[in-house]
Amino acid sequence: MIEVTNIDVFYGNIQVLKGVSLHVTRGEIVALIGANGAGKSTLMKATIGLLPKKSGNICLEGYPITALPCPEIIRLGIAVVPEGRRLFAPLSVLDNLNLGAYLRLTNGFKKEVQEDLQTMFQIFPRLRERSHQLAGTLSGGEQQMLAIARALMERPKVLLMDEPSIGLAPLIVKEIFEIIRRLKDEGNTFLLIEQNARMALRVSDRGYLMELGRIILNGSAESLFKEETVRKSYLGA
Amino acid sequence: MESLLKDKNKLAWLLITPGVLLLPFVFGKGFYLNTMNFISLHAMVAVGLCLLVGYGGQLSISHSAFFAIGAYASAIFCLRYHLPPLISILLSQGLSALLAWGIGWVVLRLKGHYLAIATLSFTIIVEVLVKEMAWLTGGLQGLSSIPSISIGGFMIDSDYRFYFVVWPLTMLLLLFSLNLVDSRMGRIFRAIKENEDIARQFGADVKVYKIKLFIVSSVYASIAGSLYAHFVTFISPVTGSIMFAIDIIMVLAFGGFTLLWGAMIGVASLTFLNEYLTIFADFKRAIYGLALVIIILLFPNGLLLGLRDFGNRIFLFIAEGRKKHASA
Amino acid sequence: MLQLNGVSKDFGGLRALSDVTLNVREGQIKGLIGPNGAGKTTLFNLITGVFPPSGGSITFLGEETTHQNPEKISRLGISRTFQQPHLFKSLTVWENVMMGRHYRTRAEFFACGLRLPKATREEKDIRKQSLEYLNLFGLTDKKDRVASKLPLGEQRYLEVARALATEPKLLLLDEPTSGLNDHETEQFRDLLLKIKGVGVTLLVIEHHMRFIMGLCEEIAVLNFGAKIAEGSPQEIQVSPEVITAYLGTEESID
Repeated sequence: MIEVTNIDVFYGNIQVLKGVSLHVTRGEIVALIGANGAGKSTLMKATIGLLPKKSGNICLEGYPITALPCPEIIRLGIAVVPEGRRLFAPLSVLDNLNLGAYLRLTNGFKKEVQEDLQTMFQIFPRLRERSHQLAGTLSGGEQQMLAIARALMERPKVLLMDEPSIGLAPLIVKEIFEIIRRLKDEGNTFLLIEQNARMALRVSDRGYLMELGRIILNGSAESLFKEETVRKSYLGA
Repeated sequence: MESLLKDKNKLAWLLITPGVLLLPFVFGKGFYLNTMNFISLHAMVAVGLCLLVGYGGQLSISHSAFFAIGAYASAIFCLRYHLPPLISILLSQGLSALLAWGIGWVVLRLKGHYLAIATLSFTIIVEVLVKEMAWLTGGLQGLSSIPSISIGGFMIDSDYRFYFVVWPLTMLLLLFSLNLVDSRMGRIFRAIKENEDIARQFGADVKVYKIKLFIVSSVYASIAGSLYAHFVTFISPVTGSIMFAIDIIMVLAFGGFTLLWGAMIGVASLTFLNEYLTIFADFKRAIYGLALVIIILLFPNGLLLGLRDFGNRIFLFIAEGRKKHASA
Repeated sequence: MLQLNGVSKDFGGLRALSDVTLNVREGQIKGLIGPNGAGKTTLFNLITGVFPPSGGSITFLGEETTHQNPEKISRLGISRTFQQPHLFKSLTVWENVMMGRHYRTRAEFFACGLRLPKATREEKDIRKQSLEYLNLFGLTDKKDRVASKLPLGEQRYLEVARALATEPKLLLLDEPTSGLNDHETEQFRDLLLKIKGVGVTLLVIEHHMRFIMGLCEEIAVLNFGAKIAEGSPQEIQVSPEVITAYLGTEESID
């Protein structure tokens, strides 16, 4: 689905990604874990065309997207749930969801979008209850759900999620991750960027561990879960 | 002395001051001296406001009020209490400083537009009081026959004589300001203008500093007002009207908000421009207003500074072009 | 030297810090770590008086500073740097460091405006001393540049130089290595050890774990506004609470 090969990214003269490669296959959840400042969000921004790559390639279903601008990449089917959620706070839940399907609405797929809306409300019953409430007034967990639903409304080929657990209480985090797993069972594909390594690995199929701009470890989620290197990388041992 | 020569600003001051003071000896007496005297009075106000706005970052529209207070206080001390003009002028500055302290203490907790509006209201209040307290201020008739300043029996009652009182004083106040901005105090004001919170973390008592700067800046305007009263010998509510406050801001917009010399140049250019604009008489304000909007839009740091930066950029552009040309 | 007793801070209904007790001893380099949003910077803001705590007390060198304002606290000898360098952008590099000398000097309006000998002498000292700090950080060549024109690494140096110019007893550093490359980080380490060498106590917030573990004798860990561990780097690295805070819980979803 997504194939990132050997990319280098610089902020000014500081190299923040050093030859990073990873891939996500259809129907998989892949976790990208690593401590704060490892370069996880940078990798996501580079993937969706928000940062220039000095070298390396990125392909979506074999089609090169390395040099495409961000809106083009989104149109090709990568949806993003950004860190901090970035909802349209003064708009209602419903409007936020419709904006997620903006591209399809303008192309005349109104009926399909209506159906998808109902599906979202089935997956996230809490959003149905609050469909006319303003997004800014939702709780943190509900906002995260809305952000995920909004991204799904794009009918993406793959979903990039940046720190879905950030700032949320442990119980809510658990709920969010349960939903992610259910969405996977329905055939969705995820690249999950998380600091919360244990939780992320528990729902994922495979994982990559990043440290200071490099992938230093990859493997099945189970193997990474037990790996001492992860703890050492996080705590600098 | 050594430090005076090293500094471009001080060097300019050392060269320009004698030039200005020698002017009447070169051109003789004439009506131009009257214009020059007004330039000097307005420059005093502009330099004071430049300190407050350009360096301290506190936009105030109250300088016309302090000009009026300086003028009225000094006239009233003279006429009603029969004090000699010099004493009146000194007392007036004390009064202005006291008022500035009180006003500053109240309004300087506001920022930006809010501060501008609060100081503007003060100006309006002063204007109304001047008109309404006729028993003290002469109301709309104003006060006339204000005695001229006399120094040791020598009357300062002509343009020529006044010139040698007002210009040295303006140049001294300018020097004081130049010294001030290039010192510990100048740095702290620029720091406060940029970020009060960080300035506080470097031990600056921001509130007190702002009030002190407001006092100094207001007293500049007040000195000019007092001198005006004893020079023109007649004052009325027009003397310190809001229009005057706006004119002075216009001067800074023209000369550069963060440039003390710009305030001087701004006053001089606008005063001469004013002489020519008399053809437009009634539309003068409209033209001013339009010019102000255009200047602020194009050059938020002021016209002169803006033109300088623009010139620099063109120079760089040409230099770059040459370099490319040479390398190709 | 610095003592926080049961300090709490609420923002509206949100509890940013709850009951944090922390002790910084004279002469040590202490680390303060924790996941994003744990309340580390809030703690710095409380110590420096940006806002008062909702509960608890703070004392510095035996003096209660809980409700003091920033200018007072800085005068007592606490200086800091920021996550994103907060320089005076329109001032030159040199002038920024001169600002650090501000409260160590006293010439006021008239002394400055009239260039009284006292003020002139003081200004000379300010310039000389600031230059020494610039020297220490290799910034002398760039002293007349506008601070905002410096690259990030040098902005961080300049911020530390400015903080040191206040001659602090305690220096608070908020993520000093973020945005620095490996080489600069290494240099920064040496610099901090040098600063410690001249008798300045340091409290450092950091995300760069290798850096902080190698630098500090003692580390405190915050999570969700509470202190969950404190001890040597070795103790911290194996503390189950810390591991859970960073890696997540052991328990499974289902």
